[in-house]
Amino acid sequence: METSQEIQVQVRFVTKQTEYAVTDTPMIVPAKLKRYGLSEIINHLLGFEKPIPFEFMIDNLFLRTSLLEYLENSGLSTENIITIEYVESMLPPTPLSSFQHDDWISSVKIFGQRYFLSGSYDNHVRIWNTSGECLQTFIGHSAPIKNVSWISVKDDEEFTFLSASQDRTIRAWRSSLEHDKYISLYECIGHKGSVESIAISPSCSEFASGSWDSSIMLWTTDLPENNDDDEHIKIQTSSKRRKVIKKEKILTKYPIATMNGHIGAVSSVVFDDKDNKKLYSGGWDHSIRIWDVESRTNVDVKNCDKVVYGISYSGKSGLIASGHSDRVIRLWDPRAEDVAVVKLTLSSHKNWVTSVSWSTKNSFMLVSGSYDGTVKIWDIRSRTPLYTLSKQNGDKGKEENNTPKKIFCVDWDEDIILSGGEDNQLHIYGSKKIGFTRN
Amino acid sequence: MQKTKTKILRVSKKISPKIKKIDENTSEEDIITRKIKKNDENTSDEDIIANLKIDMLSEEEENFSDLDSQSTKSADKEENDDSIEQHSENEKFVLDDITDNEEENENFNNETSEVGESNDYIAGDSLDENDLESNEDNKTLSESEETETHYVVGANGRPRKILPEIEPVYDSDSSTENPINSVGNIPMEWYDDYPHIGYDIDGKKIMKPAKGDELDKFLENMEDPDSWMSAKDNLLQQNVKLTDEELEIIRRIQMGSFPEKDFDPYEPTVEWFTSKPEVMPLNATPEPKRRFIPSKWEAKRIMKIVRAIRQGRIVLGKTQVQKPRFYNLWNENDQPREEHPMHIPAPKMKLPGHDESYNPPAEYLLTDKEKEEWEQMDPDDREKNYIPQKYSCLRNVPAYNRFIQERFNRCLDLYLAPRVRKNKLNIDPESLIPKLPNPKDLQPFPTSLTLSYDGHTGRVRCISIDPTGLWLVSGSDDKTIRLWEIITGRCVKTWEIEDIVYSIAWCPIREVCAFIFSCSNKVGVILPTGICDDEVALSTSQYVTSGFNITQRKDEKVKLVEWMKPTDEQNKNGILLFIHHAHNKTIKQIAWHRKGDYFSSISPDAGNQGILIHQLSKHQSQQPFRKTRGIVQCVKFHPIKPLFFVATQRYVRVYNLMKQELTRTLQSGVKWISSLDVHPMGDNVIVGSYDKKLCWFDLDLSPRPYRTLCYHTKAIRNVVYHKRLPLFASCSDDGSIQIFHGMVYNDLLQNPLIVPVKILKAGHQIVDSLGVLNCEFHPIQPWIISSGADHTIKLWT
Repeated sequence: METSQEIQVQVRFVTKQTEYAVTDTPMIVPAKLKRYGLSEIINHLLGFEKPIPFEFMIDNLFLRTSLLEYLENSGLSTENIITIEYVESMLPPTPLSSFQHDDWISSVKIFGQRYFLSGSYDNHVRIWNTSGECLQTFIGHSAPIKNVSWISVKDDEEFTFLSASQDRTIRAWRSSLEHDKYISLYECIGHKGSVESIAISPSCSEFASGSWDSSIMLWTTDLPENNDDDEHIKIQTSSKRRKVIKKEKILTKYPIATMNGHIGAVSSVVFDDKDNKKLYSGGWDHSIRIWDVESRTNVDVKNCDKVVYGISYSGKSGLIASGHSDRVIRLWDPRAEDVAVVKLTLSSHKNWVTSVSWSTKNSFMLVSGSYDGTVKIWDIRSRTPLYTLSKQNGDKGKEENNTPKKIFCVDWDEDIILSGGEDNQLHIYGSKKIGFTRN
Repeated sequence: MQKTKTKILRVSKKISPKIKKIDENTSEEDIITRKIKKNDENTSDEDIIANLKIDMLSEEEENFSDLDSQSTKSADKEENDDSIEQHSENEKFVLDDITDNEEENENFNNETSEVGESNDYIAGDSLDENDLESNEDNKTLSESEETETHYVVGANGRPRKILPEIEPVYDSDSSTENPINSVGNIPMEWYDDYPHIGYDIDGKKIMKPAKGDELDKFLENMEDPDSWMSAKDNLLQQNVKLTDEELEIIRRIQMGSFPEKDFDPYEPTVEWFTSKPEVMPLNATPEPKRRFIPSKWEAKRIMKIVRAIRQGRIVLGKTQVQKPRFYNLWNENDQPREEHPMHIPAPKMKLPGHDESYNPPAEYLLTDKEKEEWEQMDPDDREKNYIPQKYSCLRNVPAYNRFIQERFNRCLDLYLAPRVRKNKLNIDPESLIPKLPNPKDLQPFPTSLTLSYDGHTGRVRCISIDPTGLWLVSGSDDKTIRLWEIITGRCVKTWEIEDIVYSIAWCPIREVCAFIFSCSNKVGVILPTGICDDEVALSTSQYVTSGFNITQRKDEKVKLVEWMKPTDEQNKNGILLFIHHAHNKTIKQIAWHRKGDYFSSISPDAGNQGILIHQLSKHQSQQPFRKTRGIVQCVKFHPIKPLFFVATQRYVRVYNLMKQELTRTLQSGVKWISSLDVHPMGDNVIVGSYDKKLCWFDLDLSPRPYRTLCYHTKAIRNVVYHKRLPLFASCSDDGSIQIFHGMVYNDLLQNPLIVPVKILKAGHQIVDSLGVLNCEFHPIQPWIISSGADHTIKLWT
């Protein structure tokens, strides 16, 4: 009998990252090797002095066990040649910094790895830069901000963005750093409940909002006609935080369309990032709905049996990821005709998953935030999360109490991951290399 | 013969000299003669022996003489009485004889002696008038008749004739020679009244012999050397001397041999019927026929044997193998006998442990305190019936003093506790459990703790979820009401109230965005601004306050409540109105009607005004019951019909508000109802009680609970139904919430299905023995929100 140590298998290494390509001739490696061992072989073949970690995939699934165990589990023979694909592994993201807020953070958005937009329960919206400076605080809402969204950033000076609030309104803001002033462009009135989510179409001409009144409304981003007065611009000399708000009339905007279909509250809306006409929404009625924006119709409904909190669509992979109250992340293929098919279920969180966000670079990776206080980075080729980011500053956590601080929002752009939650801190995680796309 | 007689009697005299001397009247001879007479009469040896034995016994008794003398004295006194009395006395004596004495101090000896004495008296009585001559004549007569009297000793001082001695032969029949008294064997008392005692063979009267007084008798006895060998002849009423033969008989009886001297008990037997055929047969009957024909029964038996032989059951010529008479008891190849199928081996005794060792480890030895405890304990209560002892070596171990007792107890155990082979019931215990669906198939239901709403600083007594399921209000002992965003756990707003908030309830209709709360004797209505649309807020505000414009009826005698406007500051906070109750008791619960116009407030302490129903749109209040029965615990409106449920301490009464009548009474069978909820379909009611029980009533079935569930370990605080899903829950002071699947079918034939599905534990801490105070299901989602005494509210999903 051969012991497992003596078993050897023939493997062929392939990669789509040409800079790490090695010869594709099969080679014999011991079957007991795991990821680390294989990575050593590749590094040896490439002759790198500084080893680079690699991830290995067989049949598009990450190798998490030894080769032998994999073969045994999948019932494959050890005599065939195994083709192993490898990619450079994502480095573990490290907490770069965290910005203190006055209250819970309900929403964060990132722009170009330089500016961070955060909406907070103290009714204010803030813009931060990478050095942790609060560039501007936007005051105007009368209830906690529930969602924020960038519209445009011009020359790193002029920002335009939207904020949705529990006061049932959406506001558009424009600010310029140069003049250190900001204006509230218009106020969108129409929702009867707290506006939970806003989504900008890829062309930035329209945006959609989902609310607790179970409706989704469509709005245009252009300025409404000044029907009665001049532009009511709120100009303020910005000091640090506290400002006296001058009561001024703001332009109001009404929705161009209302799309009803959800039975319960709508928790999240997201536009297809390649198609202006497709809108995805998730609601408390356990459904994910696909809307045709042009015809304002509900094209498809995908039902599961748990409440949907946050959804995210990736144009790269063409999948919808949704966070649920049963602690799992479900992946849906919106193109699939079959109504109730869940492509993949990722479960590791210990509480509700409130927010998910696809990586903009890698079509396989996504980040999720949960009420259990952790942010998890997933590669859908692996069933287990790649990394789990929990509160590193444990001293803070210990002071308060044992219950983990809820995470309300996550965002991922390029190499930076943002998360905000109950602990009033905007956490920024980053890694120099977050992996490369295959395509 | 004579010599032997004297010898025997001397012996007897020697035995009882004292008695002889003291006894005056009844000499031993008298007794003996009497016995002989009796012997004649009864002709039984045993009697004689018995009497003699009694006599011998009586001699040993000291007090015999005293008693005797007393009785004789009393008898002497009675001599002067007339003879009839005497007779009756005698009769009495006889009666005593028969009935074994009424007089307790007289034993059998006395009686016998007195019988003799009474006989003497009779003789004396009869001879009262007679002179001595007649007495002499009688004597001579008797002497002439009794040939055995040889000589006369002057017992009474007179000489007696000495008659020639007759040699009595055994065969000689003296009775033929001198027939004395021909009356036969009759009781001689019959002649007590007569001067004679019978008739002789010639029909002449035989006169009673003369009888001297006791002194005479004594003297006679003293003088007559042969008085010891005389006995009284009952028939002749006088003493006769015993012959040598008679004495010999007595002697032989005393010796225990045959009375007759010549009786040979060992004489050869005469074979009257022998086995040898006689020449002349004793019986002349002819031989029966059966002697000459073959026997039918013999033929049958033979046929049986023949048949057995033919069938091979009996093998002819088969020699029977003789079993060896002796065998080796300790044989090597001796196999153990197979056990009986019903054999039950005796249970083995427990093997001794370390503490039973003669040298146990030190930890097994008892300390002095333990020893004392052991000794004070009742032997039956002791865990072990010995104290571990330590000996330095095996040689010092004494004999085990409890050995016998232990063996005995073991034997008792073995036979007093019969070992019975019990048939195992071949029933699968699983099959006895009713078939319940797997809780997994009954999902969704809340399974785990998701959120905690922290902020209250007192017990959270009441919670309510708004009809859209987005907002939660809670009232607490810290005199605040808080509004929470359900999914995030964010406290949106806080209202300061002047007293503990006991109950809180959202208006059940979505068009009105307001909730009511109760504190002390007030009910307030709050419009939480900011969470609802402006239009809704406006309409709500109008709806609630429009009643102020309606002029209140003044005809009410007693004003139950007062609808009051709040202060401006309160109004700014959203408080729309207050209802002050006239009774100054705490309002414990408020319940909405489904249409959101009417609501009821109850205060258990307020007596008849305990239940009030208010109409919000018109600002009217009414007292539906003139009199409340018992302390009202909880009320609920029926979700569909105009019914009103009132839970008192033990009963739930269902009133029809339209007809104004009591529809039915539900008997809960619990001791103290704490809470009540009505199924959204309206046909089922659950009732929670402080004695841990949850009762499910099916209003279609019976006024008794359809099912009583007792799963909590402490008092149930609240029970709720889910408004949409087939779920209900109970929360308890034990800190747990139990979730049940309660499916109600539209089919009337099918009973509700109740399955416990989940116990939600480890959420709320128990503070001051209070656990979960309230719980409520989310109106849409399968979530439950609970509030506890630990100041927190928890969301379970």
